[in-house]
Amino acid sequence: MRRRWLVGTVALALLLAACGGDDDGGGAAGGGERQYKLTLIQGVKGDQFYVTMQCGAQAAAKAAGATLDVTAPDEFDASLQTPVVNAVVAKKPDAILVAPTDTKAMIPPLTQAKAAGIKLVFVDTTTENGAELAESEIASDNEEGGREAARALAELTGGKGSVLVINVKPGISTTDARAKGFEDEIKKTPGLKYIGQEYSNDKPEIAASKATAALAAHPDLVGIFGTNLFSAEGAATGLRSAGASKKVKIVGFDAGPKQVEDLDQGIVQALIAQKPADIGKAGVEQAIAALKGEPVQKKIGTGFVVVTKENMNDPDVKPFLYKSSC
Amino acid sequence: MSETREVPPAEVPDEVAPEPAGNGLRAVLRRRLTETTTWTFLILLGIVAGFAALRFQQFATVFNFRNIAADASGLLIIAVGMTFVIITSGIDLSVGSVLVFSGVIAAKVMLAIGGEGWGAIGAGLVAGLVAGLAWGVVNGVLVTKARVPPLIVTLGTLGMALGSALLITGGIDVRGVPLQLTTTIGIGQLGGVPYVVIIAAAVTAVGAVTLSMTRFGRYTYAIGSNAEAARRAGIDVDRHLIKVYALSGLLAGLAGMVSLARFATTTIGGHSTDNLAAIAAVVLGGTSLFGGIGTVLGTLVGVFIPAILQNGFVILGVQPFWQQVAVGAVLIVAVYIDQLKRRAQERGERR
Repeated sequence: MRRRWLVGTVALALLLAACGGDDDGGGAAGGGERQYKLTLIQGVKGDQFYVTMQCGAQAAAKAAGATLDVTAPDEFDASLQTPVVNAVVAKKPDAILVAPTDTKAMIPPLTQAKAAGIKLVFVDTTTENGAELAESEIASDNEEGGREAARALAELTGGKGSVLVINVKPGISTTDARAKGFEDEIKKTPGLKYIGQEYSNDKPEIAASKATAALAAHPDLVGIFGTNLFSAEGAATGLRSAGASKKVKIVGFDAGPKQVEDLDQGIVQALIAQKPADIGKAGVEQAIAALKGEPVQKKIGTGFVVVTKENMNDPDVKPFLYKSSC
Repeated sequence: MSETREVPPAEVPDEVAPEPAGNGLRAVLRRRLTETTTWTFLILLGIVAGFAALRFQQFATVFNFRNIAADASGLLIIAVGMTFVIITSGIDLSVGSVLVFSGVIAAKVMLAIGGEGWGAIGAGLVAGLVAGLAWGVVNGVLVTKARVPPLIVTLGTLGMALGSALLITGGIDVRGVPLQLTTTIGIGQLGGVPYVVIIAAAVTAVGAVTLSMTRFGRYTYAIGSNAEAARRAGIDVDRHLIKVYALSGLLAGLAGMVSLARFATTTIGGHSTDNLAAIAAVVLGGTSLFGGIGTVLGTLVGVFIPAILQNGFVILGVQPFWQQVAVGAVLIVAVYIDQLKRRAQERGERR
């Protein structure tokens, strides 16, 4: 009996030791001044947008002599991100860079974080009261991204026919802004008729069925703007199965490896690429400025690059395609 | 349901017990259960001690434990219901979907009535609980009357409940439930303890007492040990199983209300693995998947092992993907140790 106790205890000790060791190896060499501890909480694990953001943030943290831990929930959902935020707050880093997964549901845990004396910087997404909670909100100007998409689609379609937006779901600050910007800008092209937005709930199969349904209802459909990866990709799948992929042009958002492949194969015709590495870099810089008591910029908008099959290998476009690892 | 009336031993004869009857069914059960739970509890303590040793000031704070408890409250409520189901040697895969469905129904009712008052909130909560209960009854009836295996029934209702929730909402989270619900039940505290933790603790306490001290609990064990023997002993097995699945559905509904209160949105995407998390917690807590053995207190421990691991790993800064690997490994290690222990015990008993 005593031996089994031993087995259990040793197994556990090994497990914990392994984890502890992992952490110790990650520390960066300190600079001359105080070494700030930062944590980046992404919206979801393993997404190339966030990986690219992480690359930018890590480079900036290294340059500033700060350490940066990165963590994320399994799914882009507030009920899964809340425990992660709570655990990070318990860790008491000097500042948290976070991409809130819901404009409302993430307010309580983030308010608690601020109350614990941790500086918050919101990257990409934000909350309803983001201006109060965060030292700085850094995101692509998503409305401008939507306008870029409208201009790209107007050019691709020749400015005649009906256009549709396939959005993710309501309540995501970024994608809602993209749809709004698109709606505003598309009206400037008199030949194009905006027929509204549909929601894919981030499921390609739903996006596909919404796209084919819209095609049935509006035979003059010439363009679709998918506000994120699955919305655009699902729309493309639906159009292909309906035999309309030549007639209907698709503009997608973001430039992950899969999207770039779709672009290369002619499944989508243009991508509005954000600059997530710039968001991560600016996030670290603003956090450190706030910690040092230096002035911060409350809102920072990072720009876009319109990627098409023609320009995707140009040296001034290529660096903006998203990365799977740093 | 919580009858505390003593049942004369004659009603549950010794043939129900899996063990050779020595000093009575209850004494045997109690001895066995306390011992298996102790093991996982020691593992939990070991994990807490380990993290506390590595990061004392960050990990071992009231603030941190309060948050861990609040985050685990929903899963704990589900897992209490799951404990009853698994002790009857059944399984309930539908809990996560039922949680979402109940949340959607409650939110829709609150929005339909409108306004901020407690009337709308109360009506929504009742509707949500009834919705959960209804799915539980459907599970129970299909398992007992239609004789479809529980794994299949609840796999079916998993899809049906989630599909119905998606149909009702068009796949979009329902938002805009009364703010009062969130500010009071959702994030409010009573004497420093969040309301959601109080709710989960109350469910656990009632569940533990019901399972260990009432006729309902003894029937649950008896059916899990040997359903045929229980039937011959005069227990209405079908009726009891329907009640057990109904309880699981009701508690999933309650967990849905807790989730709705905390997040003010239906979090449709966040519960696809709740069923597996609950089963893992129940098994970690020493409940046998073959039925007849288990405790609610064990499940309480089982819920907190992964919750504390996740929290501790984030504090240590372990890469997110490693957390899943480690939680899975701990599940296997914990059950392995438990098995070793149990085998030794059985050998000892047979002599």
